[in-house]
Amino acid sequence: MAVLRKKITTRIRVLRTIVVGIVVAYAVNLFSLQILRREVFVSEAERISMQSIRIRAPRGEIYDRTGQTLLAGNRDAYSVQITPSEIPPAQRDEVLEKLSNLLGIPKEDLARKMPAGTAGGYGKITLASNTTFQVIATIASRVEEFPGVSWTVRPLRVYGDVGSLAGILGYVGTITRDEYKLLYNKGYASDDITGKTGVELTYEEYLKGKDGWIAKAVDVKGRDIKSIEQKMTPAEPGRKLVLSIDLAIQKAAEVALGKRTGSVVVLKPSTGEILAMVSYPWYDPNLFLSDNAGTEYMKLLQDPQNPLLNRAYQSSYPPASTFKTVLTAALLEEKPISPDRTVYCAGELDYGGRTWSCHIKRPGHGPVNLPEALAQSCDIYYWTVGRDFLGIENIVSYTRDFGYGKATGIDLPSENAGLVPTPSWKERTFNEPWTPGDTMNLSIGQGYMLATPLQVANMMAMIVNDGVLYKPHVVKEIRDPQTGSLVREITPEVLHKSSISRTTFATLRSYLRGVIVHGTARVPVNTKAVQVAGKTGTAEVGLKNRWHSWFASYGPYDARPEDQIVVVTMIEASNPWEWWAPYSANVIYQSIFSGQDPRTAAATVGVKLEGSGLAGRRE
Amino acid sequence: MKLASIRRLFGNIDYFLLFTSLVLAAIGVAAIYSSGVDAEGNLVSKEYLKQIFWIASGIAIMLAAALFDFSRFKDSSWLFYVLAIVLLILTRLFGRVVNGAKSWLGIGSLGIQPAEFAKIATVLALARYLDAAEFATSFRKLVTSAVIAGIPVLLILSQPDFGSALVFFPAVLMMLTIADVDVRYILFGVFGVLGIFVFLSLPLSASSADNPESILRIFASDQRLAILLFIVVALVALAASAGWIIYKKRFYFWISYVFALVAFSMAGAFIAQKVLKPYQLARLLVFIDPQIDPRGSGWNILQSITAIGSGGLTGKGFLRGTHSHARFIPQQSTDFIFSIIAEEFGFVGVAAVLGLFLLYFMRCIVLIETLKDRYASYVTAGLLGIFVFHFMINVGMAMGIMPVTGIPLFFISYGGSSMWIAMASTGILMGISARRYAT
Repeated sequence: MAVLRKKITTRIRVLRTIVVGIVVAYAVNLFSLQILRREVFVSEAERISMQSIRIRAPRGEIYDRTGQTLLAGNRDAYSVQITPSEIPPAQRDEVLEKLSNLLGIPKEDLARKMPAGTAGGYGKITLASNTTFQVIATIASRVEEFPGVSWTVRPLRVYGDVGSLAGILGYVGTITRDEYKLLYNKGYASDDITGKTGVELTYEEYLKGKDGWIAKAVDVKGRDIKSIEQKMTPAEPGRKLVLSIDLAIQKAAEVALGKRTGSVVVLKPSTGEILAMVSYPWYDPNLFLSDNAGTEYMKLLQDPQNPLLNRAYQSSYPPASTFKTVLTAALLEEKPISPDRTVYCAGELDYGGRTWSCHIKRPGHGPVNLPEALAQSCDIYYWTVGRDFLGIENIVSYTRDFGYGKATGIDLPSENAGLVPTPSWKERTFNEPWTPGDTMNLSIGQGYMLATPLQVANMMAMIVNDGVLYKPHVVKEIRDPQTGSLVREITPEVLHKSSISRTTFATLRSYLRGVIVHGTARVPVNTKAVQVAGKTGTAEVGLKNRWHSWFASYGPYDARPEDQIVVVTMIEASNPWEWWAPYSANVIYQSIFSGQDPRTAAATVGVKLEGSGLAGRRE
Repeated sequence: MKLASIRRLFGNIDYFLLFTSLVLAAIGVAAIYSSGVDAEGNLVSKEYLKQIFWIASGIAIMLAAALFDFSRFKDSSWLFYVLAIVLLILTRLFGRVVNGAKSWLGIGSLGIQPAEFAKIATVLALARYLDAAEFATSFRKLVTSAVIAGIPVLLILSQPDFGSALVFFPAVLMMLTIADVDVRYILFGVFGVLGIFVFLSLPLSASSADNPESILRIFASDQRLAILLFIVVALVALAASAGWIIYKKRFYFWISYVFALVAFSMAGAFIAQKVLKPYQLARLLVFIDPQIDPRGSGWNILQSITAIGSGGLTGKGFLRGTHSHARFIPQQSTDFIFSIIAEEFGFVGVAAVLGLFLLYFMRCIVLIETLKDRYASYVTAGLLGIFVFHFMINVGMAMGIMPVTGIPLFFISYGGSSMWIAMASTGILMGISARRYAT
């Protein structure tokens, strides 16, 4: 018995160890759950039981220069949702039928959105995302007939009748997967709206605003628990943008350009503010908010005229004779020959085994000095001086000095930088040596040279400013949406200061005035409202009887730079030839400086807006 | 009964057992009250009132059980046992189906779960047998005990109530341990139960195994192959037993032991698979990885763990357990009562509950050590086995480390049957404790 007792005692000891072991092990596990890993479970419990609803911040509004006219705002978009579990099964069909009638969506489509598996679901299913207030009002007034139906409202971007401003404003759309990856850390959600192009894209950080939240407790069935207070963080609407765009000038430019593929840039040289920027054809940014945005977008993408392109700064062309302005500045500054020295223009020039024709053909301009060559846009003169006196190094250096070949840094996305060809560039690109013929081509802004209308406008601005170049911008101010206080003012930013002397600029300005007074633009630019100075341009693009038409100008001539404006018009060769660039600029100047509406202005200066009826090349 | 003996009995009340059981029951009432409060703060359930009634009537049963001298009327054990078997058979024939198992016997809304009664009756009967069979061989004790416990187990399994059937194993093993049965046989039982779980979970782990060529697949795909394997294993076990009996070589014994263990586990798993409904099986095994089915069987476990974990050190406060009140945890007042205590009273609260249970268990062990009466010590061991097992499974289930079997937490979980059985057992133990120095 004694042996037996001992054995039992050992067993009891083991038993006790096991029992204590179990309790201690459980205590340790509970310690781990409740003390060590508490945070995980607290947030998990909150995640499960707290439902947060985002209050979307309205996107910042965009106004014109005066801050009075709303260009882009928001309207409330209502979406209709359904909670399948809250519909009595017997009523399901009836509810769907009623919703179908109300929303104008076929019943089968609605049924497809809530498949059989979701019948008992507590999650909300969106049936329609862009319905009217009337629909919601109807549902709300007959709410007992629509069990399980709910609605939400969110601000939706809406654009006014902005016409050609689309190219500046851009448009918005649902965030893409790639954008989401980049913007995730900035608090974006996967169904957020972001700016896709234009001001909407460049000023996204200001326009976005900050979403608010309502956090509310729900039980296992997703029902609100009213006894637990909702926590609300209100949404902060996005900032208000005030553009530098003057709607009257924009409208004048729009009308003056008409239905011609091309662009107009009007800017204030003393600040870099863009007063008007038109690119034809344009698109309606509201299309991207419609329910079939996808197909509309595809249509725009496939349009051969590419309406999504803002030709004023995203397209580059040979600047043609407007580029003679740069050569003239170089000649005045470098003085390889006297401006008074004449070059004889016989209408043709034989060089390098081919005949180079001046635009007026035989018998040519006769003997021309520099001011006359610029006024008459004599190719022979510039070919000769460019090749024999200035040389490619000088030409490239002056071209760059005027801002060509690099982006202007305008506050709009995807700017085209244009192209300034150099001997080394040609070597690299074509593996061919630079020839004097290339220099001749460049001297009249042809060949490889490419510039955007905005760059040409900048050239004119620099001449007006005695060599100072400001960064162009379309946004003037950013203001607080609630208080209206200034958040940020876009102040003039010097992009470049030229070393060219003031006398050179003064002389150049008088030469450019000569172009209007007695030169090529004498006939088309006949406005009496303002004294204009500028340069015409007609670019060869290989089409028979069709050319790009340029007119780069400023006015009022001799006024203080602050009072002047730069106008650049550019009509693509794809349009029927009518030498429209100077004509349209004429209308724009008349309209701006006489205060006439563009149609009256056109009538006053005798321009038929539907077309000049011109045939044959003009410089 | 003489007045003097009653007076002596009160003088000898085991205050450890009385105190722990009543405090635990009080905690239970608070927890049940809390579980009846919805998220808006409205009391939507009267369960706590019923529980108070169960406790009150339970205390009466406890006193009655304490007064009845089981050791003196050992033979009445068989009466209880036969009564329990009859009730189980009646339940099998006329029982009411609750939660998918035919486990209730009663008229109208009144009913009892005979399985609960059978647990105590079996413990008493087994104690009576072991007391009488003091000098029988270990093997004989094992086989006879297996038969005595096996009859109610099979009847309960057929309900099917796997959880209740399982409770018999720790009770029997605990009693055999105290009855000095060979450790090898006791371990056989322990490993056997574990083995059943292993074989039950094999098809599950096979179907979720990364390797489609996994050998485990045979259990999931081809039942005939599994049966063939079982027959081979069983034959080897039998052959080895024969070898052992004939040649008396230990070598044969161990072969027989291992193969019989495997065969036992396979047979148990096979039976469980046959009797249990698929959802019961899923609940049983889901604790291995709740994430396999987070919206279905794993839901309870994940929500329960979340509730427990979010309680922290001191809890969210009485009636302020957000997770519990928002009804994220089903069977809050019965199976998952522990998680509401953990959520509202935190680690401090559950440590107190754990401490009270440990006190109760330790008291039972002290009783076993000091009892002279073998029958009484066997009964104590059996009841201790039941208590520890209930505690281990229920609390473990709430923490997600034990299978979901619907085994209530004694004294705390809502329910008349479990409360009465807990109180009756405590009464028996108190009676044993009071008379342990009597001759």
